[in-house]
Amino acid sequence: MRELDLFTDFSKKAGVGIDPMDIKIDDTTLRDGEQTAGVVFANDEKIHIAKMLDKVGVHQIESGIPAMGGDEKDAIKKIAGLGLNCSVLAWNRPVKSDIEASVECGVDAVALSISSSDIHIEHKLRKSREWVLETMKSGVDFAKSHNLYVSVNAEDASRSDMEFLLQFARTARDAGADRLRYCDTLGILDPFETFMRVKNIIDIIGIDMEMHTHNDFGMAIANAIAGIKAGAIYVNTTVNGLGERAGNAAFEEFVMALKYVEGVDMGFNTTLFRNLSEYVARASNRVLPTWKPVVGGNLFVHEIESKVSGIMANPLTYELFKETDVGLKREYVLGKYSGVNTTMHKLETLGYKISREEASELAEIVRNKTVASKRALFDSEIIDTYKEFKGSSKKEKEGTGRKK
Amino acid sequence: MAKLKKDKIVNIIDTTLRNGEQTAGVVFSKHEKIRIAKMLDEIGIPEIEIGTPALGDVEKDIIKNILKAGLKAKLYAYCNADPAEIEAAADLGVENIIINISTSDIHIKEKYKQNRTWVVNTLREAMRTARQKDLSFIISAEDATRTDLEFLLKLVTLAKKKGAQRFRICDTVSKFDPFRTFMNINTINTAVDFPLEVYNHNDFGMATANAMAAIRGGAVSLVVSVGGLGDGTGNAAMEEIVMAMRYLENLEMGIETSKFREIAEYVAKASARAIPIWKAIVGTNVFAHESGIHADGVIKNPKNYEAFNPAEVGLTRQLVVGKHSGSHTILHKFKEYDIELTDKEANDILALTRTMSVDLKRPLFDKELMYIYKEYKSKKKDEPEADEDEE
Repeated sequence: MRELDLFTDFSKKAGVGIDPMDIKIDDTTLRDGEQTAGVVFANDEKIHIAKMLDKVGVHQIESGIPAMGGDEKDAIKKIAGLGLNCSVLAWNRPVKSDIEASVECGVDAVALSISSSDIHIEHKLRKSREWVLETMKSGVDFAKSHNLYVSVNAEDASRSDMEFLLQFARTARDAGADRLRYCDTLGILDPFETFMRVKNIIDIIGIDMEMHTHNDFGMAIANAIAGIKAGAIYVNTTVNGLGERAGNAAFEEFVMALKYVEGVDMGFNTTLFRNLSEYVARASNRVLPTWKPVVGGNLFVHEIESKVSGIMANPLTYELFKETDVGLKREYVLGKYSGVNTTMHKLETLGYKISREEASELAEIVRNKTVASKRALFDSEIIDTYKEFKGSSKKEKEGTGRKK
Repeated sequence: MAKLKKDKIVNIIDTTLRNGEQTAGVVFSKHEKIRIAKMLDEIGIPEIEIGTPALGDVEKDIIKNILKAGLKAKLYAYCNADPAEIEAAADLGVENIIINISTSDIHIKEKYKQNRTWVVNTLREAMRTARQKDLSFIISAEDATRTDLEFLLKLVTLAKKKGAQRFRICDTVSKFDPFRTFMNINTINTAVDFPLEVYNHNDFGMATANAMAAIRGGAVSLVVSVGGLGDGTGNAAMEEIVMAMRYLENLEMGIETSKFREIAEYVAKASARAIPIWKAIVGTNVFAHESGIHADGVIKNPKNYEAFNPAEVGLTRQLVVGKHSGSHTILHKFKEYDIELTDKEANDILALTRTMSVDLKRPLFDKELMYIYKEYKSKKKDEPEADEDEE
C-alpha cells in the first residue's frame, strides 16, 4: 500500500505549475531521425527541414554529426550559416577531434554523448566508470574553451546505476555543462519511473535537463511528458517520431499533448504541422500512416453513426482540437458503420437532399456494398448508388401504383 | 521503482473485430473475421469482442459463425444501451455483451439531447433486459474521462448492484495522461470495490502508457487491438501491452508472443494497411541497425541496444549498411560472406559505401556491397606498388 501512496503522491505533484515559457524543443530529426536504418536526407532536404522547423518555432535544431565529415559536415555548416532564430547544435563524442569539427561548422551548441550504464561501459566502450567521467569532463572543458553551449548526453541513462548517474550529472555540472540529456536509449522506462529518476537528478544535482525518449514500448510521448512534469525543460523530439528502431518522441504529438492534455501552450505555429510531417515523410521515404496521432488525418475522418451524430451537434463531443489547428480537413465517409445521419449528411455535401426514410434504406444498401468491396465507398460510387436507388424506388412506387 | 505484485492478474479483451473494424474505411470479410478470432484464440487472448449485432444480417451471420468456431476465449457482442440491440445479441446465442452508453455531460446534452436521469434510466432498462436474457454484461461508459466523477461513481455503483461483470472507463477523446489516468482509476477503485476495465485512444500517442498506468491504479482489464487498429488514431496495441507488461512490469500474461508479427501482418492485410516498419514491437525496423555506434554495440552484445530478442515476437535482426555505418559493421557484414577484411580495407570500403549511399539516398543491398568490394579489389590489383609504398 505504501507503493500506491507513493504513486498517488507523484501523480498529485506531477506537473504543478509548468511555465510554458520554460519548456524548449530541441529537434533531432536531422540527427537521430536520419540515423534511422534506411534513412538518408539529401543536403538540400536537410536545409529545407531546418528552415521549416525554425519557422514552426523550434528552439534548437540538432543538425548532425560533424565528425562524419564530407556531405554531413557541409550540411551542418550551411544550416549554421542560415541565420535561423533557433540555436544550432551538433552531436559529438566527447573527444577533441569531434568538437573541433563542430567548431569548424560554426554551430553555437554541442551535445557530448557518452554511455553511463555499466552494460554499455563494459560491453561497448570496454572501459571503466572513471574513464567515462574523465573523458566527459575533458570534453566539456574543451568545448567550453570554445564558448559553446554544452549538453552532456547520458546515453542509456535508464539502465545506469542511480548513484553513478548522479555522480555523472555532478561531474557534468561542475565542469560547466549547460544541461544533461537523459537518454532512454532503449525505450524501457514507464512514465512513473521516468518521473522518479529525473526528479531525483534535478532535486539532488540541480542541473537543467533534457528528455530523449524512444518508442520501443509505445511510451515515448508519455515518458517525455513525465520528464517535463519532473522538472526537465528540454525535449529532444523528431518530426513523425522518425528515429532508430521504433523511433523517438514525435514533435507534433508532444506539442499537442502538452497543449490539450496538460493545458500548456508553447505557442507553436501548429497549422504547419501537416506540411512539415508530409515533407519529412517524403524525404525519409516513408508513408505517413492515416492513423498517425495528430497529423495522420484519420482522427478527423468519420464513418460511425453515433460519432457523426455527436460531431454534427458539436465537434467537441469527439474532437479536442480542430482539424485546421494542425493543417488537416474533416471528412465523412460512408461505410459499414454509417447510419441515417451520416448518410443524410454525406449526400448533402454531395449536393443531394434526401429524407430520413430514404437515408435509412440507402444506409443499408451502402453497408452491403462496403462489405462486398471490403472498403468505404468513393464519392462517385455513393452518387451512383443513390441514383440507382432513386430509380428503383421510383419504379417500385409506380409499380405499386399501377397494381392499385 | 515499485512494481506490481507478482500475483496480479491482468485481463485483456481484444477489440480488433469491433472497434478495429469500426476504423473509417476498414471492412473485414467474414472469412477474415473468423480467421482473426481463431488466431487471437490460439495465442491465448482470454476475451474477444466479436462484433455489433445492430449492424444487420451480414454482421449477425459472422457473429454466429465465430460463436460456432469452438474457441476457448470468452466472446462478447457490442450493444448500445438499447433493449432491442441486446435482444438481438441474445437471439444469436451470444452469452456475453458490452452495454455502451455515453456518460459525459457534453455527450448527454449534445449527442443524446437528454439529461443524466435519462442515462440512469436507460442503463437500468438495458441491464434489466440483459439479466432477463441471462447475459453476462460489461457496462461501458463512453467519454468517461470527461464525466463528472460523482456521476460516474453513481453509475459504477449501479452497475455493481445490478450484477454487471465489470465497468469500462473509456478515454474516448484521449483526455488523460498516465498520471491522471492513475489518479482517476485509483479514486474510483477506492470509492467502489468493483472490477474496472480501461479503454484508451491514441490521439496524443499515450494509449499504451495510459493503459499501463490504469493497471497500476488498480484496473484489472484492458481493451486492446492488434497493431492498435481502431477508430481515429486507434487503441492500445495488443502486442505493446503484452510486451510492456513482460519487460516493464515483470508481469507474464501467458500469451504466445512469437506469433505477433504473423498476426500483425494478417490484420494489416485484412484492413488494407501496411505495418509501418517503425511500429513498436512488430515493425521490421525495430531490429535493424545501421548507425556505427549502435551496430557495433549490437555486434558486441545485442543487449547493448535491444530490450528483448527479436525471435520473441517473430522478427529477425538485420545489420543495414548505409551512411551511418561504421567499419565494424563492414567487417561483420563481409564475414557473413566468408570474406575477412583487414582494418584498412574495411575503412576504405566504408568510405565508398557512404558516398554511394548518400548518392542513392538509401542504404545498400548486399549485392551492391559486393560490387564495391570487387571494384575495390581490382583497382588494388592494378596499383599494387603504390600500396606497398604506403606501408
